[in-house]
Amino acid sequence: MFCGNRPFLMKMRPLFPAFAALAFAATSPAQEKAPAAAAPVESPIVETPAPSTPLIDEWEGIVNIDASVLVPDYREPWNSGAPSGGSGTGFLIGKNRFLTNAHVISNATKLVIRTTNDPEPHPARVVFVAHDCDLAILEAEDGKPFEKLKPLTFGGIPKLNTEVIAVGYPIGGDRISVTRGVVSRIDFRPFSHTQVDSHLAIQVDAAINPGNSGGPVLQSGQVVGVAFQGFSGRVAQNVGYIIPVPVIKRFLKDVEDGHYDHYVDLAASDFAIENSAQRKALHLNGDGVGVMIAEVEPAGSVGGILQRGDVLLSMDGNPVLNNGLIRFEGELMDMNEVVERKFAGDKLNLTYLRNGEKKETEVTLKRFDPYVKLGEQYNQRPRYVVYAGLVFQPMDKNLMDAHQISDPAANYLFDNYLTEKLYVERPEPVLLTSILADEVNTYITPYANSVVDEINGVKIRSLKDVKTALAKKGEKADFVVIKLLEKGRPLVLKRDLAEAAHPKIMQTYNVPEDSYLGENEKD
Amino acid sequence: MKPFSFLLALLALGTAAHAQVPATPKFPLRPNPAPLAPQARPQQGVLQTSSLLKVNVTYQAHNMRIPWQKESAGGRRGLGVVLEGNRILVTGQMVADATYIELELPESGQKIPARVVAVDYEANLALLAPNSPAREAAFFAGLSPMEVDTSTRIGDTLVVWQTGRVGELIVTPMRVSKVMNQGYVVENASFIVYEAQGIIRSEANSFTLPVAKGNKLAALLLRYDSKNQLATLLPAPIIEHFLKDVADGKYDGFPSLGIEFQITLDDQFREYLGMKPDQAGVYISSVTKGASAEKAGVKKGDILQSINGHSIDSRGDYQDPQFGALSISHTVRGQAFVGDEVEMKVLREGKELTLKGKLARKQPTDYLVLPYLFDHGPKYVLNGGLLFQELTRPYLNSFGSEQQGGPILRLARIANSPEESEKKGKKKIVFLSAVLPTTSTQGYERVSGQVVSEVNGTKITRIEDLAEAFKKPQDGLHVVKLEQFPFILYLDATKVERDNLQLMNGAFRIGSLSRLD
Repeated sequence: MFCGNRPFLMKMRPLFPAFAALAFAATSPAQEKAPAAAAPVESPIVETPAPSTPLIDEWEGIVNIDASVLVPDYREPWNSGAPSGGSGTGFLIGKNRFLTNAHVISNATKLVIRTTNDPEPHPARVVFVAHDCDLAILEAEDGKPFEKLKPLTFGGIPKLNTEVIAVGYPIGGDRISVTRGVVSRIDFRPFSHTQVDSHLAIQVDAAINPGNSGGPVLQSGQVVGVAFQGFSGRVAQNVGYIIPVPVIKRFLKDVEDGHYDHYVDLAASDFAIENSAQRKALHLNGDGVGVMIAEVEPAGSVGGILQRGDVLLSMDGNPVLNNGLIRFEGELMDMNEVVERKFAGDKLNLTYLRNGEKKETEVTLKRFDPYVKLGEQYNQRPRYVVYAGLVFQPMDKNLMDAHQISDPAANYLFDNYLTEKLYVERPEPVLLTSILADEVNTYITPYANSVVDEINGVKIRSLKDVKTALAKKGEKADFVVIKLLEKGRPLVLKRDLAEAAHPKIMQTYNVPEDSYLGENEKD
Repeated sequence: MKPFSFLLALLALGTAAHAQVPATPKFPLRPNPAPLAPQARPQQGVLQTSSLLKVNVTYQAHNMRIPWQKESAGGRRGLGVVLEGNRILVTGQMVADATYIELELPESGQKIPARVVAVDYEANLALLAPNSPAREAAFFAGLSPMEVDTSTRIGDTLVVWQTGRVGELIVTPMRVSKVMNQGYVVENASFIVYEAQGIIRSEANSFTLPVAKGNKLAALLLRYDSKNQLATLLPAPIIEHFLKDVADGKYDGFPSLGIEFQITLDDQFREYLGMKPDQAGVYISSVTKGASAEKAGVKKGDILQSINGHSIDSRGDYQDPQFGALSISHTVRGQAFVGDEVEMKVLREGKELTLKGKLARKQPTDYLVLPYLFDHGPKYVLNGGLLFQELTRPYLNSFGSEQQGGPILRLARIANSPEESEKKGKKKIVFLSAVLPTTSTQGYERVSGQVVSEVNGTKITRIEDLAEAFKKPQDGLHVVKLEQFPFILYLDATKVERDNLQLMNGAFRIGSLSRLD
């Protein structure tokens, strides 16, 4: 869903980053305890199909996933990044198909699956990954060893205050572990993996620890969720979150056609109608139905259809209440849940009031791209252009975090990229992130971390433009002229000096290629 | 609300540039216990001076975020320098938001009320006069005025004067090591300063400290960085300028050109600009609309080569006969007066041009965002519980380091790049600063920080427009259009009237629904 006006609570932290899990995996022998799963388990809610089948075999399809990771280096984008690793949990959901969290396998260069009773490590690979809902599907390179195992099956949304168990490979030992608790809350939550997506999530008080990520949470032997996040530190106790079945099923359905299309979004912000003057001005009759549309993203699904000041009355025939909630599957939920369940290209029927006149329309849902930049991105090789020691990189969250940018223009652009619709003018803002010092550029080193406005008279709307604009000859052909946002003067390089210095700078600073524009772009 | 102490502000401002913030006031109100080895005592023992007075100020600042309220009152104690005609010179900070000012004779403790004759918060100077005609003559009988001495040069030794508990003079010698241009206390105000090295001890009356050369006034202490033992002095040339300006009975203030410039040390940049290797000058990167330079015809992109015959080097300095290399801005800010002729030589497209004009001053009220605000309360309009204010620097500064994100970051950006808003015809930025809980504002409790674009169909360019527009509701509704989410708010005009009556003298202790003067 679109989060423009729904700020996240700051207490949200990614609890199970893969590297943290690994750090815990290397516990000292003193902390070793008897594997929890080896203890006799008597569970009223986990059905054992036959008394002769030990529980542990029933759970043989719940596997440990070991990931070797390369964390991209956004400061030296031409470098490989730092090798790291981590481990999480996954479980068999079909023939050689394992479900886990996207964050368990993000940036992985090598994946290995282990079951609790089989000493053999099985190399695996990613089939589908959905960062926006933190889910992924893996397959073993050789599926044979898993053919005899029984895939887990899915249940529904568990009721509040009913018991669930979390099964997986968290810190504290190597073998499979079980913890138990109840369903505490069902609510829309921000997903910390990307930090910009929010979906339905279920809060449980079963202990969920680093390494549980991607593991199943079971009720009556059926999967009711995938453990994925909690709070780090001591901000809250016994709070763990699991991805519920509707989100999982949506993901599974999305990938049926062979690729993942991402969530779709209305890309409109609503403002509750609680004020009597508002009601009168918007021509409402006081039956509690209708929410004001305060903002519409021109690039979103309802761009050009809904307008500021419209009152949204219903979605697919379901009335939208004054506070933006909708009754859906018997529960009051955020109206975005209706959109959440749909896929790219699906239709949505809307009724709305405009200037007191009731209107009806059908919109085709699509993804809203600009906000992806505001979230954490994975499995991406950092893109860049180097010219005469000047390093240009596209603005996104990874870059902003890596460089800890403090330039006011850059921060404003990032903070208001959506709210002030800056993405319309600059779909991909480009920053001059660093200057590899050399005689040719020594006077412009203080201008690192500035936003690039124009090069040789060409407006820079994306990184690709940098490459073409640098080659172009501007008004004064002997010079390369770079205009920055909110900097008093243009940066100027003499073209012949810059081009002579360029190869030497590349060699000195060990930059193997002078640009990487992305997989589909020829350098 | 953030506590605000001027006593601390002096130090905080001084140390900000040196990344050091003292946790405790360095000027305690009680004298320090005598040190075991009193090394700071001057050798000449106890002196008395007849040119120094104690100045006691009670002040009360307005609350920037709750504009109908004032903060709690506080006190400042400092020294004043007696000048010709029973006038007393102190720093501007000393009298900011003053509610009561009195002069005190150091020895006898005799007191007399005083008033502000002139104050310039940019130059941080104020001139006081006694406010008791009957007692004035007797009070000043034993005092002798001090003269201002502008002859200080780098390397001279000056003496900082302080008084002890019973009026004895404590002197601290300091050597002037640098003369340069530096920011003073309020936003957008920079003038020359002397920088001097030495140890200043804390005394009870340490707010305005005179710095003498012989028996004449050479400077006032602007700030002191105790970690580096570095004193920044407000120098005599600026004091003299201020006094000359006051003398004619009408205070005009310090003129400015209204330009920003960039250095031109970069060879490739110089070549791009068409400058010859031996040609000096700086690149004009911005020209303020309506300011002196623009009126004289200076354009962005010009190379400024000289002002009033002073050639400008690539760093923006000229050769001052007294101080050596000094920022060219001193020739305008510190040496010229409002109304003076100015002549500038610029290089434009390879051609040298001579531009002439008259110097003017940019008044604080000319700024889109008021750079400082003392002695007056912030403007506001409260209607039905929606509180609107004009954006000011002091408002933004009241958030301190909270200014990192969200609406405050956005407002701060507007303040930092006013051109965009000025282009849209705005004279001031009117924004919704808070929503008080009333029946009219039901549902709007979480809204704040948005810039107002229109009210009841009237474009808002300053807060007076807003007050007018609220007099004309349409069909019993007020329609407030905002530049950010949620973009539009509606108020019921009848409920607003009722809420306004209840707000007056209600729980929020609101005495007036607006301040527009």
